[in-house]
Amino acid sequence: MVIVPATTGQMGVLPGHVATIAELKPGVLSVHEGNETTKYFVSSGFVFIHANSFADIIAVEAVPLDQIDANLVQKGLVEFTQKLSSATTDLEKAEAQIGIDVHSALNSALTG
Amino acid sequence: MAMAALRREGRRFAPLISPRPITAVRSSPIAPSHEDECPIGVRYISTQVVRNRMKSVKNIQKITKAMKMVAASKLRAVQTKAENSRGLWQPFTALLGDLPSVDVKKSVVVTISSDKGLCGGINSTSVKISKGIHKLNSGPEKETQYVILGEKAKAQLIRDSKKDIELIITELQKNPLNYTQVSVLADEILKNVEFDALRIVFNKFHSVVSFVPTVSTVLSPEIVEREAESGGKLGDLDNYEVEGGETKGEILQNLAEFQFSCVMFNAVLENACSEQGARMSAMDSSSRNAGDMLDRLTLTYNRTRQASITTELIEIISGASALEG
Repeated sequence: MVIVPATTGQMGVLPGHVATIAELKPGVLSVHEGNETTKYFVSSGFVFIHANSFADIIAVEAVPLDQIDANLVQKGLVEFTQKLSSATTDLEKAEAQIGIDVHSALNSALTG
Repeated sequence: MAMAALRREGRRFAPLISPRPITAVRSSPIAPSHEDECPIGVRYISTQVVRNRMKSVKNIQKITKAMKMVAASKLRAVQTKAENSRGLWQPFTALLGDLPSVDVKKSVVVTISSDKGLCGGINSTSVKISKGIHKLNSGPEKETQYVILGEKAKAQLIRDSKKDIELIITELQKNPLNYTQVSVLADEILKNVEFDALRIVFNKFHSVVSFVPTVSTVLSPEIVEREAESGGKLGDLDNYEVEGGETKGEILQNLAEFQFSCVMFNAVLENACSEQGARMSAMDSSSRNAGDMLDRLTLTYNRTRQASITTELIEIISGASALEG
């Protein structure tokens, strides 16, 4: 079973799932194989669930959770919050918001 | 006869010389020359020209051998990346299929080529295929535009298709290729070019000696919808529930853009691999040719040397016998 962080929330995928195309938001992807779980942080991407119980997960970046540095996450979060408050154009605001989303997701991935 | 052979070789030799101009080579006939090293009164045939030729051929052999090894090491580095990137576009093809035969009004051909030369014929084949696609897609209401990556394709396409070129991007390989760079590139293309179908032309790397020119087709979301409704290969797309987003169209838009950047990433890496592989084999055959040429020149050199010694001996001996008798 796989739990993917779709834009509509965490989605669990088991064999026999209805065929779906879902967009992913930054979050934790956990792969449960038997009793083992491997967790990755996914920055964004897509998941295709085919009708023959095959799922393809395509991510822009995927990192195993133990390779993430908590200090850098905090620093990034602070940096992007600053950028958001000092942003003038819509584009800058959007970019800063994206940075905040990713970093807070990273934060909750590390703690949660 | 030796001179004629050398002059023939000289002409064949010229294209190899061009990257590194070696001006010492002149195919002047080896006649008794007064140029060098002869004390006055002694005539002998000069081996200087052949010697110069041999030196430059030997240099070329060393240079091309070194280039081959450099290309081999670069190939090793890019090859793992390229093979890993193949998994990136396969899910898209599993979902959306690859329909080169789709009928669209506006298609854009993205030609990927190298910046540097001396890599065999891969750039010419890519350009040939791009022109072929252009021809296939021309007709009433249909038009094709080019987006060019790389200097070599730019040089070839700018000559006859200047008005059809939308965007030219060069110096891609200055920094090692990574996804971020390619996604910025894909972004640029998507922003500036409107298209119904994107056809990416590149050389797929099968092995060190085989590179196959390939075309990958990425459709715009509207065409995907149209094809899905009309059935056929994309007909199953409607069976998929689309989660999230306000409309299916929005998701498909993101999907198409993501697909384009993934396919581009793979295409650029594969083309880089093919370029290094082609350069390896081109440099290998060039150093082998240089070796052959060196053998032939050595024979000529020895013949000339022996002929000059014989001439000198004859002159001395006939001079001595003239004095006696």
